[in-house]
Amino acid sequence: MLSHTRLLSFLITLAFFFLSASVFAYNQSEYQFASNNDASRFDNILNETRCIVCQNQTLADSDAPLANDLRDKIYHLVLENKSDAEINDFLTSRYGEFILLRPRLQTSTMTLWFFPFFALLTAFVFLIRLKHK
Amino acid sequence: MLDLQRLKLFLPFLFLLALFGLLGRELFYATPNEPPSVLIGEAVPHFQLPSLFSPSILFTPKTFHGQISLLNVWASWCYACQVEAPMLMKIKDQYHIPVYGIAYKDKAEDAKQWLQAHGNPYALIGSDLKGDVAIDLGVYGTPETFVIDRQGKIIYRHIGVLDQKAWDDVLHPLIQQLQKEKL
Repeated sequence: MLSHTRLLSFLITLAFFFLSASVFAYNQSEYQFASNNDASRFDNILNETRCIVCQNQTLADSDAPLANDLRDKIYHLVLENKSDAEINDFLTSRYGEFILLRPRLQTSTMTLWFFPFFALLTAFVFLIRLKHK
Repeated sequence: MLDLQRLKLFLPFLFLLALFGLLGRELFYATPNEPPSVLIGEAVPHFQLPSLFSPSILFTPKTFHGQISLLNVWASWCYACQVEAPMLMKIKDQYHIPVYGIAYKDKAEDAKQWLQAHGNPYALIGSDLKGDVAIDLGVYGTPETFVIDRQGKIIYRHIGVLDQKAWDDVLHPLIQQLQKEKL
């Protein structure tokens, strides 16, 4: 009996979690594309780009005026058949690497990308040495 | 030998302490709302905007050449810009630094009305109706002020209201230094 109540409360918590996920989502019908590929490319870019005035939201789930403007810009760049890399360059040359939610691998982001592996490796070496003592 | 063992014991705590130090620094001193502009040291990106008062005159980055100036992005619907207005007037009248304006997503009649009410510090104003130029400048919001040197390069960007303190502490010394550089 007790486990039932627990399961129920777990499910309710889970439901709240999903219900509260996102309040705003951009209106996809406002952005029409000739191909599905372009449409999904557009959606991917929006989900990988930071809304810089509301920093922990993506461009896809922000209703800030600047987010709207940037969405329109990206829409037109996709229509112009610009590649993802070109669009990322467009964004970073204006707003810096910060606007990309997934930082690209380059000299300035080396530590960011490789430190976790380094730390994990160090921890393993430490553990193995500890065990052999 | 014993001392080394002891040191090892404390090592994790030292790590933790260093980590706390780092996090604390980020927590209290980081300015995530003011990331550095990537345009510092670069020429003002090309733009072409119709002048607010006489649309046949075009405002382009060529205007900046040969003088040290400020470029201020503002809007009549922006409350903070009202707060900033007297300071911009002062910069124009007392410090004699030309201030250029970009009216960001603003209707011409609203912008003109605002200038009548709060004074017009601007040598020239471009109407950026759609906010395209603001995006090219990497603008976050209004007001934002750029310091531009004689070659038309962006030297500094100030985000938010430009007050006397920011002027005295940062912008004015910077401009004085630029003025000392040979023509």
